[in-house]
Amino acid sequence: MTGTGTATVGAESFFPPLRLQTTSHIPKLGFLKLNRSLISLRSLQIKASDSSNQLRLNVAHDLTLSNSNGNSNGNATGSGTTNLKHLSTIGNSTNIQWHSCSVQKDDRHSLLHQKGCVIWITGLSGSGKSTIACALSRILHQRGKLTYVLDGDNIRHGLNKDLGFKAQDRAENIRRIGEVAKLFADAGVICIASLISPYRRDRDACRSMLPNGDFIEVFMDVPLHVCEARDPKGLYKLARAGKIKGFTGIDDPYETPIHSEIVLKHGEPCASPVEMAEKIVVYLENKGYLHA
Amino acid sequence: MSTITNSTNIFWQECQIGKPDRQKLLNQKGCVVWITGLSGSGKSTLACSLGRELHTRGKLSYVLDGDNLRHGLNKDLGFKPEDRTENIRRTEVAKLFADAGLICVASLISPYRRDRDACRAMLPDANFIEVFMNMPLQLCEARDPKGLYKLARSGKIKGFTGIDDPYEPPLNCEIEIKQENGVCPTPTAMAGQVVSYLENKGFLRS
Repeated sequence: MTGTGTATVGAESFFPPLRLQTTSHIPKLGFLKLNRSLISLRSLQIKASDSSNQLRLNVAHDLTLSNSNGNSNGNATGSGTTNLKHLSTIGNSTNIQWHSCSVQKDDRHSLLHQKGCVIWITGLSGSGKSTIACALSRILHQRGKLTYVLDGDNIRHGLNKDLGFKAQDRAENIRRIGEVAKLFADAGVICIASLISPYRRDRDACRSMLPNGDFIEVFMDVPLHVCEARDPKGLYKLARAGKIKGFTGIDDPYETPIHSEIVLKHGEPCASPVEMAEKIVVYLENKGYLHA
Repeated sequence: MSTITNSTNIFWQECQIGKPDRQKLLNQKGCVVWITGLSGSGKSTLACSLGRELHTRGKLSYVLDGDNLRHGLNKDLGFKPEDRTENIRRTEVAKLFADAGLICVASLISPYRRDRDACRAMLPDANFIEVFMNMPLQLCEARDPKGLYKLARSGKIKGFTGIDDPYEPPLNCEIEIKQENGVCPTPTAMAGQVVSYLENKGFLRS
């Protein structure tokens, strides 16, 4: 929704922007924290504070209310005071309203003794993503943690079977998996997404869908010649023979991550799948995801 | 190697940890509780009270609300018939939740029988539990919790289910929620009805 509106917030609820971020679609200036909600602002002008110690904010363009889990709670009206229950338009979906439930993310954390997050494993075909995903889920399961693997190929058997490998289809594939992974993380599951995801912009868009810290990017740093020598699915051979077009690493780019939380580099000591998976487990432990 | 519709050269990746392992961990069986009915019939209300009842019993559930899905995964979809069909098709995500061992509560108008039946066909082993909120249109319209019937009646929304788009009631739902002597059951009572069904069918243990 675009337009202008005003929002009245208690001065004690006002914080400096918790983070500034941009997405490919929606530039944001930052966030106000209002109780459990984050309000993302596109532009903000502070008018005055009145005698009741409140700030009146003149908000231009979109005003989107999100809960602290990064889910959207709906949009403000075009003018006048913010109405949290107003219908909103998101994308092509008109007249929709976010429904909150009394069972929240924290309740599920307590039940499961873990915190939901997304472990996003990216890398060339044959770099070992699925192998690490499975090893990781096994180790975590043995520790009594609930995980779920979203494998790129498996999702293309179902939810994303309508998508091919053109650039826009790859982007939509990543977007949908990102949204699904976000739901799993919200449900308290440690969701392990394993897919080439070659374009930086698409991976960063998924990162921005989740609260800070809950998107953990793992880069399988394996040289092309090693992946090609493995060629576990025979795809490099087909690509080299020209039977597959637009194959990542051969005639379609892989954009290396710049700021991955974890890099699993080929050829280093402690490089067996289990040892690599253990590195991820240590990270999760240190960041508090393996307890409520 | 297979080709599934538009995805070529894909392989199914097996993982050692499967649904039975997760079900044992959670002490429950994954399934999809699919709540269908007119706007204002109480789907979201039931979904939330059901989630609460299950949580107090130590069971992990997750609500996939139609409107909430349209904020994220399905934000590229409108309300034309083909978009409604795609909206329901993408609720294949509920199948993933069930596979993960969760009791996934899907709450969507889902007006077309064919689309709901397609979801049922996605889930093997009777893990699809259809709950029909059988509330009369006039009751839903009188409630009008989101003001949508008013907008539809004044022509500001086109193709609104119940007004100028059909709702096809289920023929073989597992659970039907309806008024008793003109009185609606409370959210807790409705949730209790669903929980009893889940208990009797063994979903609340591994």
